[in-house]
Amino acid sequence: MTTSLSDLLNDALNEIEECKTLNNLEKLRVKYLGKKGHITSQLKKLGSMKIDQKPSFGQEINKIKNQIEAKVKAKKIELKKSLITTNIATQSIDITLPGRKSLTGSIHPITTTLSDIENIFLNAGFLVEDGPEIEDEHHNFTALNIPENHPARAMHDTFYFDNNLLLRTHTSPIQIRSMEKQGVPIKIIAPGKVFRRDSDLTHIPMFHQIEGLVIDQGINFTHLKGILHEFINCFFELPMELRFRPSYFPFTEPSAEVDILSEDGKWLEILGCGMVHPKVLDLLELDSEKYTGYAFGMGVERLAMLKHEIKDIRLFYDNDLNFLEQFK
Amino acid sequence: MKLPAEWLKEYCDINITNEQIVTQLTMAGIECELLNEPDEVIDISLTPNRADCFSVLGVSRELAALNNMNFKSDQNTQTTIDHNDEIEIKIESPKDCPVLMVRIINDIDINATTPAVITKRLNSSGIQSVNIIVDITNYVMLETGQPLHAYDLRAIDSELIVRRGHNKENITLLDGSIKTVDQNFLLISDVAKALGIAGIMGGENSGIQTDTKNIVLESAYFNNETIMGKPRILNLHTESGLRFERGVDPSIQNHAIERASKLINEYSGGKNGPITNSTSISETPKRLPILLRKKRIHQILGITIPNNRIKEILTKLNMKIKEQDYGYSGWMVTPPLFRFDINQECDLIEELARLNGYDNIDEQNEHGEIKLNKTSVRSIKINHINNLMSGLGYSEVINYSFISPSMSMIQGENINTIDITNPLSIDMSIMRASLLPGLLNNLLHNLKRQHRAIKLFESGKVFKNLNTPKQETEMLAGIGYGLRMDEQWITKLKTINFYDIKGDLERLFSSLRINTSIQYDKSTHPMLCPGRTAEIILDGKTIGYIGELNPELSMDLELSEQPILFEMDKEVLKLPKKIIHDDQTYFPSSRRDISIIISEEQAISEIIKVINTLNIKELKNIIVFDVYKGENIETGRISIALGLIFQNKSRTLTDDEIDSNMSEITKRILSTFNIKLRKK
Repeated sequence: MTTSLSDLLNDALNEIEECKTLNNLEKLRVKYLGKKGHITSQLKKLGSMKIDQKPSFGQEINKIKNQIEAKVKAKKIELKKSLITTNIATQSIDITLPGRKSLTGSIHPITTTLSDIENIFLNAGFLVEDGPEIEDEHHNFTALNIPENHPARAMHDTFYFDNNLLLRTHTSPIQIRSMEKQGVPIKIIAPGKVFRRDSDLTHIPMFHQIEGLVIDQGINFTHLKGILHEFINCFFELPMELRFRPSYFPFTEPSAEVDILSEDGKWLEILGCGMVHPKVLDLLELDSEKYTGYAFGMGVERLAMLKHEIKDIRLFYDNDLNFLEQFK
Repeated sequence: MKLPAEWLKEYCDINITNEQIVTQLTMAGIECELLNEPDEVIDISLTPNRADCFSVLGVSRELAALNNMNFKSDQNTQTTIDHNDEIEIKIESPKDCPVLMVRIINDIDINATTPAVITKRLNSSGIQSVNIIVDITNYVMLETGQPLHAYDLRAIDSELIVRRGHNKENITLLDGSIKTVDQNFLLISDVAKALGIAGIMGGENSGIQTDTKNIVLESAYFNNETIMGKPRILNLHTESGLRFERGVDPSIQNHAIERASKLINEYSGGKNGPITNSTSISETPKRLPILLRKKRIHQILGITIPNNRIKEILTKLNMKIKEQDYGYSGWMVTPPLFRFDINQECDLIEELARLNGYDNIDEQNEHGEIKLNKTSVRSIKINHINNLMSGLGYSEVINYSFISPSMSMIQGENINTIDITNPLSIDMSIMRASLLPGLLNNLLHNLKRQHRAIKLFESGKVFKNLNTPKQETEMLAGIGYGLRMDEQWITKLKTINFYDIKGDLERLFSSLRINTSIQYDKSTHPMLCPGRTAEIILDGKTIGYIGELNPELSMDLELSEQPILFEMDKEVLKLPKKIIHDDQTYFPSSRRDISIIISEEQAISEIIKVINTLNIKELKNIIVFDVYKGENIETGRISIALGLIFQNKSRTLTDDEIDSNMSEITKRILSTFNIKLRKK
């Protein structure tokens, strides 16, 4: 190697070694390896050389070029790494600051409770049915064995419209509509809003019910007890103690109220049920001798209150975000 | 109905605690609780079917049956007859009044003090002491379930008539109220005037006065179907009316009048006349034998109750039994007269279940073929929309379906709203025709509670046009107001505007895979701001609206920002059909941007529509990435920047191909609209 070439190499390697920033390193790279750099100008000499000198000179230049390139590359990595180290040391963030929050909504606890109840019964093979909220007297009362003037009508303080129409006082008319539509056997639940002309600390004029109806051959009271106990265990996610107590609904016979035993040892009424009254089937011209069945109805607010320990039923309809957002 | 516990025990020899009585009755379907005020009182809530328990006698009879004890029904009530004065009675329709017994008692001492035992029991039952005669009639009613009425003899002109009311007949009652009745009501009257509404309340001046000496005691059985519903129509709920409309024992009138006479004689003196009795045997209720089949009991209850147990229960309940085929197939059962609720076989089966105990019925699972149901489409749709809306930051609310007239007004003038005939209050008298008034109420409520970023939604029915088959429609509505996000360090506070909410709807529609079928047309809506309102159109049909609240309403509601609202028909939103995978290969896409200056009046959607009508296969998407108005743009015009994205399914596009597409697009829009290309 000629002295000038070996000096060139040494100068380059030293300068690169001494270099402190990526910027300067780039300048050095241009100085030596750029289009007008030292190495390039050495290469240009090749053209004017004698043929026998060309190969050895060429080889030497290339060797030097490779060495400088390698050095630049190594230095680049070294500088980058040291930059990262510096950055890490100086550019840390406060990871305790809160993250970006977009608005999060919530689903009303009544909707969630309805859907929980529906899912339990869907698993047991029930289908979901729907019905109108503005009903006629026939479906809301008469077809359910509650004739005009029957004292049971007084149990239902009813909102009326013209034309003998009314706001349904229970979801039971959906039983009738579903049987009119599809006959028996039938296995349905029917959720929805119901309306009673009643308002005080514990009563509100609109609330939600879920109705259940199963009619087939061979359905009896033991099945009613079985399904409801299983439902209550599933809903509260606990094995619950409950009791069936005789009661009265014009469209079931025998009728029962179901109470659950609360933690403080009190019986709490949670739903009404019974064996479908044969008159209900007779009025629909269905064979009440061949088919028997059960029906049940429950207040959704009451179940939601028990589950979430809500004391005041009116909270459901204040629609206060402080209340609603608890159910996110 | 409240009854002192000690009074109940007088009629049957049961040796159980009052707590046990309460539990026994409750578990037999007679719901009650024990009150201590100051003596132990049992507060009973009777279901409408158990009229027979509306008395000490009735409840004791039930208790005796539950405990298999004897029931002491026969108290000695024999009275003397001291004179022969009678009052003539005339019953115009024996069907309404099958049994009427009256008796004149002369020379009573109206100032006699009611004995302490009676006033105490009356007080415990919530009945005020009035005078000796009224107290005794009330006492006997509580004891026997038979409401009695006492008239001052002077008030009756000639005879006592039981008749239907005349059309629009007015009658002034004991409590001073004036009621108007008609032919559907049964009255007691004399030849000149009405003396009272039969079985519900006596008339003014016909009752016992402070100087009454001679009285007429009345003990009647009025047909429960005649009385039924009348207290409700008159809004006159009396102890007497309650008992008669549910059914009084039609065989107890004689016992009751004798019992009352005896007590009156004992504590107030008086001389008894004979009992004038008008009983129509043919109209008195009868109980016919009911066939009770053994196999039906099992069919309904799912358990087998032994024959002797069945007979024991029915006998305890005062039913007469006749065996069919020696009890092999069943029995003919005749219930007692006082059980108005037992008319069919299923009523008897309930009695068996009740007395045998619901606890003694097993719990079983239904057997049968396993049927796998598809989850209901309805539930999937509800969950899909609810989850999406709450994910977009909306909290679900549920409002009452009725609103106030002032809230109804803002829904618009031409809406055929449905009014409730008997609302709870004027504030809840009109069925909502829109969910938006409710959402505005919720907004105001939560603004008062200092919320600054509010997004709410509701799913529910709205009601219009009562006389058409389609009165109710399920809607989905929402409101956005105030900050886009809660205040935080990382994001500048920005206010929710039209495009935030429109974006939410676009996400909803995309999730239902109908976004490309939805079109927004400028429109008007009674509650929304003109110029800032769009009709939402699905396949050519208007399904709803989105817009800013009308500024006049904002002013009335004292809102500092403009709420954005939307409401649409939820029934037309369908869940997407089965998703079919689009088998596509991905070659790199290329993007070209174009800036144009258009008139402010020009809807950008029109320009995009025209570009799309060129049907350039490779044009995959058009993004509006800038809308600018102000410096360097003349007034009345805005600058729009569009990004056009090209992609071919099978290869990478060349620059030439894209350029030629771009020039086609530019040429078309320049020739169609009054627009200029913006120079870079």
